[in-house]
Amino acid sequence: MSTAALAPEWLTAREIALCPCGCIGKRRKANFVEKTIIGAANVLKQAMFSADVASQPGLLQRIQPAVKVVTMLALLMATAVVRHLSILVALYAATLAIAVASGLPLWFFVKRVWLFIPIFTGVIVVPATLNLITPGRVVIPLGTWFGHSVGVTAQGLTSAGLIVARVATSISLVVLLTLTTPWNKLLAALRTMRVPKMFVLVLGMAYRYIFYLLETVTDMYTARKSRTANHRNNTSSGRAFVAATAGATFGKAHALSIEVHDAMVARGYTGNARSIDHFQIVKRDVVWVLACSVTIAATLGVNYALGS
Amino acid sequence: MHIPDGYLSPATCGAFGVVMVPIWARAGRGVRKVVTSRYVPLVAIGAAYCFVVMMFNVPIPDGTTAHAVGGVLIAVLLGRWAAVIAVSVALLIQALFFGDGGVLAFGANAFNMAFVMPMVGYGVYQLLTRRVSLTSPRRAAAAGLGGYIGLNVAALVTAVEFGLQPTLFHTADGTPLYAPFHLGQTIPTMALAHLAVAGFVEAILTAGVIAYLQRANLPVLRINHSGVATTDEDLVAAPKLGWRWIAVGMGTMIALTPLGLVAPGSAFGEAAPKALNLRKYHLNAVPDGLRRYAGWWHHTIFNGYDFANDKHPAIGYLISAVFGILAIAIVIAIVLGSLGVYRRHQRPDRIPA
Amino acid sequence: MPSAVDIAAFDASVCAREDQEIFRVEHATFSYLERFPALNDVSLTVRRGEKVALLGANGCGKSTLLKVLDGLLFADRGSFHAFGAEVTEANLEDEQFNEGFRTRVGFVFQNSDAQVFSPTVREEIAFGPLNLGLSIDATQQRVHDVMRMLEISDLAERAPYQLSGGQKKRVAIASVLAMNPEVLLFDEPTAALDPRTQSWLIDLILELNQSGKTIIIATHDLATLDVLADRCVVFSEDHQIVADGPPGTILRDTELLISVNLLHDHAHDHGSTSHTHPHDESHHDSHREH
Ligand SMILES: Nc1ncnc2c1ncn2[C@@H]1O[C@H](COP(=O)(O)OP(=O)(O)O)[C@@H](O)[C@H]1O
Ligand SMILES: [Mg+2]
Repeated sequence: MSTAALAPEWLTAREIALCPCGCIGKRRKANFVEKTIIGAANVLKQAMFSADVASQPGLLQRIQPAVKVVTMLALLMATAVVRHLSILVALYAATLAIAVASGLPLWFFVKRVWLFIPIFTGVIVVPATLNLITPGRVVIPLGTWFGHSVGVTAQGLTSAGLIVARVATSISLVVLLTLTTPWNKLLAALRTMRVPKMFVLVLGMAYRYIFYLLETVTDMYTARKSRTANHRNNTSSGRAFVAATAGATFGKAHALSIEVHDAMVARGYTGNARSIDHFQIVKRDVVWVLACSVTIAATLGVNYALGS
Repeated sequence: MHIPDGYLSPATCGAFGVVMVPIWARAGRGVRKVVTSRYVPLVAIGAAYCFVVMMFNVPIPDGTTAHAVGGVLIAVLLGRWAAVIAVSVALLIQALFFGDGGVLAFGANAFNMAFVMPMVGYGVYQLLTRRVSLTSPRRAAAAGLGGYIGLNVAALVTAVEFGLQPTLFHTADGTPLYAPFHLGQTIPTMALAHLAVAGFVEAILTAGVIAYLQRANLPVLRINHSGVATTDEDLVAAPKLGWRWIAVGMGTMIALTPLGLVAPGSAFGEAAPKALNLRKYHLNAVPDGLRRYAGWWHHTIFNGYDFANDKHPAIGYLISAVFGILAIAIVIAIVLGSLGVYRRHQRPDRIPA
Repeated sequence: MPSAVDIAAFDASVCAREDQEIFRVEHATFSYLERFPALNDVSLTVRRGEKVALLGANGCGKSTLLKVLDGLLFADRGSFHAFGAEVTEANLEDEQFNEGFRTRVGFVFQNSDAQVFSPTVREEIAFGPLNLGLSIDATQQRVHDVMRMLEISDLAERAPYQLSGGQKKRVAIASVLAMNPEVLLFDEPTAALDPRTQSWLIDLILELNQSGKTIIIATHDLATLDVLADRCVVFSEDHQIVADGPPGTILRDTELLISVNLLHDHAHDHGSTSHTHPHDESHHDSHREH
């Protein structure tokens, strides 16, 4: 149990009050209000950053979005099929090279990919390297447990390496696509790929209103935070506040959806989605498709040659 | 519960993608029928709302926080087919932009959280709210229980998807190619995390929002409850629902029996950073005595057997059935109890301006 | 279903005369959810080229009337004719009628966040023309021209969340102007804008009117009234029209303005010896509607 639950309220309050500015001592855990506000701010920051990067010059930024989506999906599938760690590592290295060629700061790209999912995956697969979960040839014996000999198996280690490398490569591919493609171009790409236009319309509108609703929620939370600056929030009133905020936000969202519908109908919307964009495939797109095809063919070829 | 790319084999991902296509098509028709041309903005903003709901941190005792999925909440507010689309869209945006859940695994994630969860949760809700007035506290409680059960069934399905991977996809020498844990490990760990913590968070948020709207914005509840009487006095006959609650309770116990298998292990179903809280919490939450008991139980029952390979599932299942029914009965009692307490403590002065 | 007569009448209106009436509302009554009254036996005729201000306190029914005029809401009782043809829900289901009506009437909503719903500014402005059947090339030309006119060309690829309130308003107006409507409905256009954007908007509205557009503005801002309108229609708080005349006359009728709650009379506070001390209502209420 953490101490926060056991400590009387005045005690934790005192601790904060005595804490000098810029302290390195124990900090109060961010409560749900702060966490939600920070989460909302991060979503906005990330979206802004993606938009900025996508408008910079670079290798992937110059490829047609629809072409990028298709090749990315093909590469993702190839990554999923591969059974050898060495190939996955090579593919991962390739994503790093493409990131650099697209003008992404390398360290930022690596951080964005590895935090948190691949690292998290690495931690949770540790038990799976033991012979209790993945039986096989024990390479690192660790002793006995209730009469069983326990140890790390070669199969377990390979499996752990495979999954971490696969997760990291897959995320890299998705991040490469979304960081180098403006959101509206991505939607347009989906339309040209025969995803139903109505679905794309819903998707675009949903993305657009996420920011509006986040702003609404952040306002309510900021107001609460300023009102409760001097005392700790107790859990049950906190929950009532979350429910009330979520409920009120839904009321606003619904009223908004009616207004948006009016605004659409007023401009001639009758239930058909139309769009302004048209794409042209140029030479560099063809070159990119060829390069990806060669990569995928090589990946599958080597994967087959190495056997199972 | 968001599955990243790399955890599931391409065959599994493909299968769920194929399963989802007719479901989405059906959902599109279902929504269109209910709200006609208004459905585009309604579903779009519903999806945005769903995304935002996943950002709400709900405080839980011990000072940590966790967030809900909101699948059942959206189903109660907008109808189950609208929920299928809204949650799918929210998941897709998360997968593409915020790295939460994979792109290839989108079909599987949508199946778990956008289909199974709202359908099961809404089914429970509907079963418990026939002939219940719109303002009845029972409606909020039913929505909360729907959220709890919906989330746990979705977690169970997720655990099965993971747990089948090493059995189905491995190399000749037994190296698992994707998620390496077996059903015997995935089901209990996912169950523990979701039965003990995430389910409550889901229930609290779902019931809390419905209770709030019952007091503060009844017209909005009417979107998906057009013909429902407003107060108990408006009902034609008084509801007799005791047996339904009991039936759902029993049904849940039986359906969730496999989840009762309590084993030491680490939760790995959630890959997102906030899941770390849950994990930490669940490790904290298991009383030491229970953990020792689980160890003893494993030792005595499984000693001498190669239990890692599930060679004696019958014994394990029997034991876990008894254990599970007990655990779930306690859990349901706590849910209902806490909802009752929660309602009594709500005061209108907490409504934000 | 629209009758053949309706459509013929509508087509005939294409070659309308200059002084012809374009909107005629007769005895319109409307309630939200059949419970909340918003219009009570309202009759109004608007002629081509007029600048009409709908004046009234919050909640009197201005926005509702604008939505009736834009064919978004339909009166429970009474009728609405536009360009000589009756506008009903059934008539608007006819594609040709719908297209004709929507092209001619543009609506700038009070809440720009509801009106700017597309992923980017460019797509937002293209939405109307595309829906009304313009080709992609013609649409792109219009988008380009309108953005230049409203000085928002550099915002073309921006997402709505990257826009300020004033910029959003400009985009909303651009999205309506791109359809080149004959009639422009504005719902509280100057509310929540900074003074500079306000005066820019007033100039724009006047310019549009001079180029032949009919303007109808819902407002409770008395300060800009005599510039923005050549006719004022005043609503009472029980959702009726109580006055209709030139702004000069209306603004001088203090008693009327007090009775509809557009002016605040503090005479009572000072006792009988004091002078009447009117306050403009709009300075007091900054609260949001809906
Ligand atoms: N969606 C709605 N549901 C119920 N009542 C509404 C709705 N919109 C407006 N009203 C009511 O209708 C009346 C007129 O509203 P409105 O036309 O928006 O007024 P105004 O624009 O003049 O401020 C108000 O009393 C308002 O409360
Ligand atoms: Mg209004």
